[in-house]
Amino acid sequence: MTGDVIQLDHGTGGGMSQELIAELIAPRLGAVHSGRMEDSAVLELDVTRIAVTTDSFVVDPIFFGNGDIGKIAVCGTVNDLAVSGAVPRYLTLSLVLEEGFPIADLARVLDSVREAAGQARVEVVAGDTKVVRRGEVDKIFINTAGIGEFAREIELGMGQVSPGDAVIVTGWLGNHSIHILSLREGLGFEERVLSDCAPLDGLVWNVLEDHASQVHCMRDITRGGLGTVLNEVADGAGVSMRIEQSSLPIQQETAMAADMLGVDPLYLANEGNICMFVDADSAADVLELVRWHPYGRAARIVGVVHERAPSAVTMARADGTETVVELLYGAELPRLC
Amino acid sequence: MVASCAVLTNDLQYDLINKNEERKAAVAAFTPPMTSFLAELRTLGVPVVHLQLINREDDPHAERYDGWLPATKDSEGARIVAEFLADTDLTVEKNKDSGFFETELHDRLQELGVDTVVITGMQTQICVQTTAADAFFRGYNVIVPPDAVVSANAEDQARALEWLGSYCATIMPTTELVAAIAQDSLPEFSVVPIP
Repeated sequence: MTGDVIQLDHGTGGGMSQELIAELIAPRLGAVHSGRMEDSAVLELDVTRIAVTTDSFVVDPIFFGNGDIGKIAVCGTVNDLAVSGAVPRYLTLSLVLEEGFPIADLARVLDSVREAAGQARVEVVAGDTKVVRRGEVDKIFINTAGIGEFAREIELGMGQVSPGDAVIVTGWLGNHSIHILSLREGLGFEERVLSDCAPLDGLVWNVLEDHASQVHCMRDITRGGLGTVLNEVADGAGVSMRIEQSSLPIQQETAMAADMLGVDPLYLANEGNICMFVDADSAADVLELVRWHPYGRAARIVGVVHERAPSAVTMARADGTETVVELLYGAELPRLC
Repeated sequence: MVASCAVLTNDLQYDLINKNEERKAAVAAFTPPMTSFLAELRTLGVPVVHLQLINREDDPHAERYDGWLPATKDSEGARIVAEFLADTDLTVEKNKDSGFFETELHDRLQELGVDTVVITGMQTQICVQTTAADAFFRGYNVIVPPDAVVSANAEDQARALEWLGSYCATIMPTTELVAAIAQDSLPEFSVVPIP
């Protein structure tokens, strides 16, 4: 490779672009990369039903505890596919690089892409690299699109949620956001509260293997947090929900930081956390399966779905009072994923 | 010498104390008792460590005042205010809110045999709070004297002290603290450790 940093010519499509791909990107991606450097990837699918999703990743800082922008770019898209009930199979990987971005950092990000894609058993089948002038992006932005196959007959969605369903949250709430905020400002929590960034396809697969018909809906709890997910599902399904504050999986240090910052963990973004709506009779079994998985050990049943009421989502506080969990408008914390 | 105890000051620097009129007034009221408190602690042999914020030009998250970056490396405005400084004091540079974040503070305190930190300075709801939490996570006993911390906003100060007392610190006025150190009778700590 020529030079230690990304140059504008690395994105022109000429010789330096080819050198970047051939000498850095493809080797670093290794076995998870199966692109043939043609204009399109041509894929043979065994099924007639697929899930497709796309997401862009601009997290700041790009390296953090338990992850980086490469890992999050894979996990975010894999998790979106997994919660639809599909088995993630293919990813595209588009990089927008800032002129001057260190090659060593790009290599580190690509290593994370490889590791996360390998863990989630997805192939990177197509990609793109653009380079822009200094200041036009911040270091590196990534877009991934994903394709998943439906391996079983399953119909998940908000319309399947009905009164009586249990609400399960699979991991700590708010850890990713608190970690990133603490890292940005040096708040002192960054070593105690790590990002939950993880591919959850394996966890979902385990649950659906035994309980495909009892799981009615799953949502990736990312931007907007659990509060937003619950309101969206309640409105989409025409039901209401009641959650218990004392049941919410919130790490003590996360509660401390949230209290200090004046933010509510209910609305903080996560990167490895799913909200499941499950038939009440199977909820305990599903919870046990989730908790068996390394990424689901903090899982809890946090509430129950009931007939539509004036308030879409309510929460019983620890002190016995009840509060409405409002839909969050605006005030989104920037660049957490 | 009370080897187990050290006092940490936060951000007592020219650029930072002069940010605006509210802050100038708050620091002006805080300065006489704070300098007396530090003098008493020095007499008792308590190490005084000043945490000096140095803002990096390339840090997009560093707070800028009307477009300019205060407390940059080697600038006059980054210096510790003379009234709070003595020859025997130590200074530790930091680039973020917590005095422990990517600094040598923990190592320096360990070298001194410190297990109890008295956290003081400015502002209560930011650097005092984060440094206290970080110290607590690292296993230090944390004391915050409410009359040795300062904020330009009284409500922020009250809320921060309530948070500190409930999560990670013993709140103790300077007079009581000085007496306790002099009598080698620092209080029993009742902060519940995080599992």
